[in-house]
Amino acid sequence: MAAFEGGRIGRRGLLGVGLGLASGLVLAKPSFAQSGSDDVPSLAGKRIAISVVGTDHFFDLKSYQAQIAEVERLGGTPIGLDAGRNDKQLVAQLQTLLTQKPDAVIQQLGTLPVFDNQLKRLRAAGIPVFTIDVPSTNSINNTTSDNFSLGAQLALQLVSDIGGKGNLVVFNGFAGVPVCEIRYQELLQVLKYYPDVKIVQPELRDVIPNTVQDSYAQITALLSKYPEKGSISAIWSAWDIPQLGATQALIAAGRTEILTYGVDGTPEVLSLVKDPKAPAGAVAVQQPSLIGTAAVQNVARYLAGQTLPSQTFLPAVIANKKNAAEVQRQVGQAT
Amino acid sequence: MSSISSRLRPTAAALGGLGPSQPVTGLVWRSGSLIAIIFILALLAWRAPLLLSPGNIGLVLAQASIVGTLGFALTLVVAAGGRDLVKGGIDLSLAANLGLSAALYASLLTAGWGDLPALGLTLLAGLGVGLLNALAVTVIGILPLLATLATMSVCAGAELVLTENLTVPASSPFLDWLAGQGPLDFPVMAWALLVLAAILALLLHGTPLGLRLYGVGGNPAAARAAGLRVRFYLALSYVLAGLLAAVAAVLAVAFTSAATPGSDEMLLPLIVTTFLGTVFSSRLRPTIGGTLLSALFVGFLVNGFQLLAISSYWANGIQGFLILVVVATTRKLGPGARR
Repeated sequence: MAAFEGGRIGRRGLLGVGLGLASGLVLAKPSFAQSGSDDVPSLAGKRIAISVVGTDHFFDLKSYQAQIAEVERLGGTPIGLDAGRNDKQLVAQLQTLLTQKPDAVIQQLGTLPVFDNQLKRLRAAGIPVFTIDVPSTNSINNTTSDNFSLGAQLALQLVSDIGGKGNLVVFNGFAGVPVCEIRYQELLQVLKYYPDVKIVQPELRDVIPNTVQDSYAQITALLSKYPEKGSISAIWSAWDIPQLGATQALIAAGRTEILTYGVDGTPEVLSLVKDPKAPAGAVAVQQPSLIGTAAVQNVARYLAGQTLPSQTFLPAVIANKKNAAEVQRQVGQAT
Repeated sequence: MSSISSRLRPTAAALGGLGPSQPVTGLVWRSGSLIAIIFILALLAWRAPLLLSPGNIGLVLAQASIVGTLGFALTLVVAAGGRDLVKGGIDLSLAANLGLSAALYASLLTAGWGDLPALGLTLLAGLGVGLLNALAVTVIGILPLLATLATMSVCAGAELVLTENLTVPASSPFLDWLAGQGPLDFPVMAWALLVLAAILALLLHGTPLGLRLYGVGGNPAAARAAGLRVRFYLALSYVLAGLLAAVAAVLAVAFTSAATPGSDEMLLPLIVTTFLGTVFSSRLRPTIGGTLLSALFVGFLVNGFQLLAISSYWANGIQGFLILVVVATTRKLGPGARR
C-alpha cells in the first residue's frame, strides 16, 4: 500500500503484479500442506452445521463439499444446510439450529445484515459460530481470501491492461455481500489515482439466479448503446459468473477489444482467460476447497481449546493472459 | 348466530345447503388428511424429539407466518372467486406485492421515516395493489389469472426501480419488537400468525360477510339471484388480499432485518399452502383454519428434516411426496372420497 501514498504507481510495477502473485501462490502451497497435516484435533462425536447461502456456483460448491469432507475426515458429523439462495430460508435454517444445538456452526457467504442477528442469537445460546467470507463481529473466526489485496490487484491489472484510461462498465449488484463490497471499494481506491478511467453510469446490477443469461443480455444491450470501438475499455464484476456472461456477449458481438475482469476462478472463466482470442482479461483465482478445509480445521482447533486468530486468510492469485495456464495447473484445473 | 342464520337462510339454501349445520371452522377433524398429517408429524417427532419442544414450535410458527399470511390472502380470493383454477379467484400478484411493499417499507425506514407513517404507507401501498386487481377483475372484467399476472409484473418492476435489485437493510424499534420474543417466550411473529388467523377465521367463517364471500364464489348466479352484490364482494376479496400482502411484507422485513430480492419465489409455496389447506375442509374449499394447518405442516416438515439432518437436497423431494400422501389420503378416506 505504500506505493499508493506516493499518488502514482509506475506502469512497470503494475506489469509485475501478475507474475509476483503467481510466485506467491507457489510459496503458499507448502504452508497449506502443513495446515492440512494431522496435527488437527479430532471432531469425533461432534456435530458441525455447515450453513451455506447456496451451492449453485463453483466457489460455493467447492468450499461446501470441502467442509463436509473435512468434518467427516476428522470423525465428526456434518449437518449440511443449503438455503438455495433464499434469504428467508437462510434465516429459518439458522433459527432451527437454535433448537438443534450443534457443537459449532460455519456460515458461508450471504448478505450479512439479513442473518447477522441470527449469528448473534446462536452465540447468545452458547453455540460457537464460524464464518467463511463473512466478516461478522459474531464470528469467532472468519476464513476467507484476502479480498482487500485481490481486489486491489485485480483493479491494478485492469488499469494496466487498458493503459490507464477508458470507460469501465461495472456490475455492482451485491453491495450487501461484504466480500463483494470490499472488492468494489478496492477498485474505487485504485481508480482514484487513475482519473482517466471512468466508471460508466449507471452501474449494472448482476442478479442471481440466471446470472450468465442476465449479464449476457445486459452487456449486449449496452454494446448497442456504445457501438463505437473504444467507447468501452473493460467490464468489471465482483465475481466471475457475470464476467462469464459478459465475455460471451463480447465474443458474440465481435467486440473483443473490450476486456473483462472478475473474481473466483470458475473453470470456464479461467479457460477464457487462457484463450488468447477470448476477451477475458484476468480473473482473481480463489482456492475454495482450501478455504473450506481450513475453516473446519479452525473449528476443530477451537473445540479442542486452542486459541484462534479472528481471521484466516488464504492466498488468491491473479490469472492473466500470461500466466493463466500456469495458474490452472497450480489450482488443479488443468485438463 | 341465530339472527345471522335466519337472515341468511334463503341465500344459504340457494347455495346448496351451506347452512348453519356446517361447522363454523369448516374443519372436519376426522378427515383422513388430518390423520395422515398427525401420523407424519408423530413419525418426525419420534425420530427428532426436539420437534415438539415449545421453543421449536414457536420457531416453526414464526417461520410460517409470512407464507401463512399470504396463504390467508389467497384463501379470501379463492373463497370469493371460486375454485376454478382458470376462471375462478386467483391472485398471482401476492408475492410480488409483498416484495414491493417490503421494499417500500424498508426504504421509508432507511430514509428516516418513523415507524407509524412508514407502516401506514406500506399498508396503503399493499391495499392499492389489491384495488388495482379489484378494478381489473370486476370493472374491466379481465380474467383474474391474467389481471393479477399483469399486476405481478407491475409490482416486480416497481420493486426493482425502488431497490435496484439490492437488499435494503432496515431496523426500527417496531421491527426489533416484531422479531423478538413475546408472551410465554413465544416469538412475536408466531403470535402475529395466530392472532391474524383468529381474526380472519372469525371474519370468513363467523360473520355474514364471510358467508356472502363464500356464496359469491360458490355460485355467482345464485348469489346474484339472492340479491348479493357479486362484484362488490369479489372486489373486496382482492383489496383485503392486497392489504394482507402488505402485512406479510412487514413480517418479512422483520424476519430478514431487510427487504430482500427474490420474493417471487414465494408464489408457488403460497399457492401450495392455500390449496393444500383445502383438504382439511369438509367441502374441499379453502378455509383460514385449513390454510393455517397446511402452512404449519409444511413448516414442520422443513424444520423436521433439518432436525433429522436430512440433506436439503432430499428434503424438497420428500416434502413433495408427503404432500401427495396427504392429498391422496383425503381422496381415499376423507369426505372428499365421495366426489
